[in-house]
Amino acid sequence: MTRIKLENVTKIFGNTVAVDNVSLEINEGEFFTIIGPSGCGKTTTLRIIAGFELPEQGKVYFDDQDVTYLKPYHRNTAMVFQNYALWPHMTVYDNIAYGLRLRKVPEDEIKKKVKWALELVDLEGVEKRYPLQLSGGQQQRVALARALVVEPNVLLLDEPLSNLDAKLRVEMREEIKSLQKRLKITTIYVTHDQLEALSMSDRIAVMNKGKVLQVDTPTNLYFKPNSLFVASFLGRSNVLDGRVTSTLDDHMVRVYVDQLDKELVIYTHGGIETGKVHVVIRPESFELVEDLPVGENIIEGVVDDSMFLGDKIEARVISGSAKLTIYLANKIFVRQGQKVTLRIPPDRMVALPA
Amino acid sequence: MTTTIDATDQYKIKDLLLVGLIGAVLYYVGSNYNVPDLDLIAWILAIIIPIAMYKRGLDVDKLKYSFSLSFLSIISYLYVFMVLLLRLPGIPKAIAILLTPIVVVSFIYSLDTYLKERKTTRQKIKLPFSKRAKAALYSLDALVIAFLVIGTVMLVTFLLAPVLIMLWNAFITPPGTPFYENFKTIFTTRKYIRLITFGESPWSFQYIGDEKVLVITGVNYGVLLNSLINSVIVTTVATVLGIIVAFVLARYRFPGKTFLRILALVPLFVTPFINSYVIKILFSASGPISIITKNLFGFGVQIDSLAGVTIAQIMAFYPIVYLNAYASFQSIDPSMEEQAENLGAKGFKLFSTVTLPLALPGIAAGSIIVFIFSLEDLGAPIVFQERRLMSYLIYSGFTSETGVISPELAALGFVMLFLAVVSFLSIKNYVGMRSYAMISRGGRWKPRERKLGIKGLLIVYLLLLPLVIWTAMPQIGVVLLAFNMMSPTGFYIHPEQVTATYFLELFQNPNIFIYIKNTITYALVAVFIATTLSIIIGYAVSRVKIRFITSALDALSTIPIAIPGLVIALGYYFFFATLFRGTPLDPTSGPTVFQAWIVLIIAYSIRKLPFVVRSVFAGFQQVHVALEEAALNLGATRRKVVFGIVLPLILAYIISGAIIGFIYISTEVSTSITIGSLRSDQAPMTYYMKNIYIGGQLAGIQYVAAMGVLLILFQLLAILIVILGLKQSYAFIGA
Repeated sequence: MTRIKLENVTKIFGNTVAVDNVSLEINEGEFFTIIGPSGCGKTTTLRIIAGFELPEQGKVYFDDQDVTYLKPYHRNTAMVFQNYALWPHMTVYDNIAYGLRLRKVPEDEIKKKVKWALELVDLEGVEKRYPLQLSGGQQQRVALARALVVEPNVLLLDEPLSNLDAKLRVEMREEIKSLQKRLKITTIYVTHDQLEALSMSDRIAVMNKGKVLQVDTPTNLYFKPNSLFVASFLGRSNVLDGRVTSTLDDHMVRVYVDQLDKELVIYTHGGIETGKVHVVIRPESFELVEDLPVGENIIEGVVDDSMFLGDKIEARVISGSAKLTIYLANKIFVRQGQKVTLRIPPDRMVALPA
Repeated sequence: MTTTIDATDQYKIKDLLLVGLIGAVLYYVGSNYNVPDLDLIAWILAIIIPIAMYKRGLDVDKLKYSFSLSFLSIISYLYVFMVLLLRLPGIPKAIAILLTPIVVVSFIYSLDTYLKERKTTRQKIKLPFSKRAKAALYSLDALVIAFLVIGTVMLVTFLLAPVLIMLWNAFITPPGTPFYENFKTIFTTRKYIRLITFGESPWSFQYIGDEKVLVITGVNYGVLLNSLINSVIVTTVATVLGIIVAFVLARYRFPGKTFLRILALVPLFVTPFINSYVIKILFSASGPISIITKNLFGFGVQIDSLAGVTIAQIMAFYPIVYLNAYASFQSIDPSMEEQAENLGAKGFKLFSTVTLPLALPGIAAGSIIVFIFSLEDLGAPIVFQERRLMSYLIYSGFTSETGVISPELAALGFVMLFLAVVSFLSIKNYVGMRSYAMISRGGRWKPRERKLGIKGLLIVYLLLLPLVIWTAMPQIGVVLLAFNMMSPTGFYIHPEQVTATYFLELFQNPNIFIYIKNTITYALVAVFIATTLSIIIGYAVSRVKIRFITSALDALSTIPIAIPGLVIALGYYFFFATLFRGTPLDPTSGPTVFQAWIVLIIAYSIRKLPFVVRSVFAGFQQVHVALEEAALNLGATRRKVVFGIVLPLILAYIISGAIIGFIYISTEVSTSITIGSLRSDQAPMTYYMKNIYIGGQLAGIQYVAAMGVLLILFQLLAILIVILGLKQSYAFIGA
């Protein structure tokens, strides 16, 4: 088990800054995910940790050892590539045994370990096959087995599920997570899929344009994003403009929201006392109020449109000059033109500095 | 960087040319009426006004992206430079003034974009060079550095240095003359450029015996222009022919199509000298064409001299365009044409607005190869005894009594190199900008194919089929000659005389077999060197991410395609004569001392390197970098990755590259017969073929033909191994 630390890491390709002054700390045995849109620098960060790229600035530590200049073949990390990178001219057995042979493990030991690794990924009896004879999901499992069999200090996963179909993806998601829990191996997972990130990770780092914007637990990231980018990248949000009228405590402010022409009590990360803010509201944060409205954060609106999505209903509600997207339970039917009263709990909204 | 197209692009390219024209007329009038001031005014006009136009808004994109115009601007640069350097007066100078506005605009446009780009990058990133270099070097380990160094040293020593030493020699001039005297001779004397002719006709009626024969000889505008005219005509006709044959075969279905497709490839079998010889017979006074015209019009037809060279080269080289065009037509996504039809385009309109433009990059790549091949071809000029060509003139320098090559020939070699490389690079630039044939939605598709109507069938069977059979005749003739079924003087077939004597004698007569042995030995060693070099360079280029170094290495390893073999021969002559003076490697050391075999092997392995590199490089591109990184990640060193993972994966590519290289080397002509002539007992097959052919004995032709058949067998075997055994595509030339 290894603790990983990145200190002010910067990587430049030509004229683009791929990774911009990134510092991260990943704890022992943690499942850590880096998420961001394509080109945000997440894969480059992973490759720096694997040793395929040398950052122009900054340091990389495994535990307390500086590994910035350590060649990839001396780092004892194991990486699973997006396209699996199985060698097509070797059998499944030879693919998995490759790392062990380099470590001069005796052949009968190798046999045992390969068997163990294949059992681990729930794929037995394919030792003599070639990678191209396997399905995508099976190839994925072989790649995972090849990485795990060398008992690496760190497991690096580069969008490993992106080439699988939707059903298989959900299955593998659970399997990788349970494997990681069982082996307690420090894991860094790179993806652009928010469902994967939210469901598997202990902590998530959100990256954009080479910078790390927020590192936090899945729930905190979702409900308490620290920037508009994080808010709109993970899940859907309504973004409104407003200005702070008064501060209630460290994490609560009173905000006048322009489009609603109303004052709301809203959560903040602190530090906002005055001035303009963006107000971020998740579609599922709205509560339909049947009785006469009492208390704070009550708004009224008219349903403009609604769609039945199976597990929920998505409605468009016009309130003031704002057009809000809200999710309702799938049993609650609303029709166009219907007047609705909505309540938004203060801790389900975030005010971000504009 | 974006360029907006709006109302401010008020000036068009034609306005530029108009300014140039006014300047040119001003200068010309001034020089004829002794008003020297007009000269200066014309230049100022041609420089200042385009700059003003550029500042106020000019449609520069047209200059950059239009194929013909970007080509024109490169040619203009060279032309204006040459005219100014040689201080040529009169019409050449007027033309230079006409072109100056284009030169000025493309220059300030390039400068402008360069400065803008520099500005934007300057603002963004500030990082010490040492840190960047360190990060870049980190990805290199000892093996990769060794690859980079070996590749660079080999190419610089055996490609760049010979050409530069040749250029150095081109500037050795008689005392008292300027340093560019040799070039001035080439651009000004009547031997090279002969604008005024004495009313010679390109054709005339002559009586051979008592038979009236129309003899077509072609023109003579001096060595330089003859070569250019010939190559331009060959390229144009070959391109048109190639496109037509390719289009019909790619888009229509008719009985006998497969037969026609295979037959159309027959001219690609290289049989030096002897195929030109058969073409000479085909177009001689006793050939089949003559027999037809005699019966129809009462006189025979004979094509000779430059016209003969032209026709022989067209017949030999058009399949290169055909192959490229065919592949391009096949690679067009059918939905492109379907969309055009859906909007109402059909027939020629559809072809000229959608199909042809999409296929043009591939076709252009083939055409430029034809241009270069035609420029440097020696087979046809030697057979038709056309001495007034650049290629023949350079060749004759090697066979002169003294064995010493004049600086003037070095200059001529450089001019040839320049023409070839500049046209190659501009086409490459254009093809690079226009490779949209690749852009498609992905996935496989069935190329469009339609059944041919009655009219179409008639055209195919009455015009296309005879044409394709006709162009395959040389190779058929070679086989007939080799087995004595055709008499070596005319087109008479005698099936009863068939004998394998000549073919068997190749192996039984030690005086002949030595040449076959030489060729095979040299080719094997050269292929080994070229393949090793290809792996080294291919790996470095595809894996090292230092743009400056890898792109230079990439360019150096592909450019030999564009370098005429004669230039390599000249370069090697001067290279070894200068740096190895007095050693057995010195070409001037005499026909018993000079070790031609070493020079030949090096020349072969460098000259035919691109063909091997391309195959090996395609292999490296197939291997995803992740396959290597996965091994590095598991603890393998670079050496283990390269030899344990990568090379086994691309073995098929390496072997087919080596086989293709072997074929190109064993059929190589220009370096073989030039360097070979300096040491005849170490010369290869093609040298023997040329020698025996020139020797003029009757049976000699048949030995040459028998060797031609042997070469055809080599090539056939290679194609079969590559396509059937290794399941690779046998890339001929181009694209």
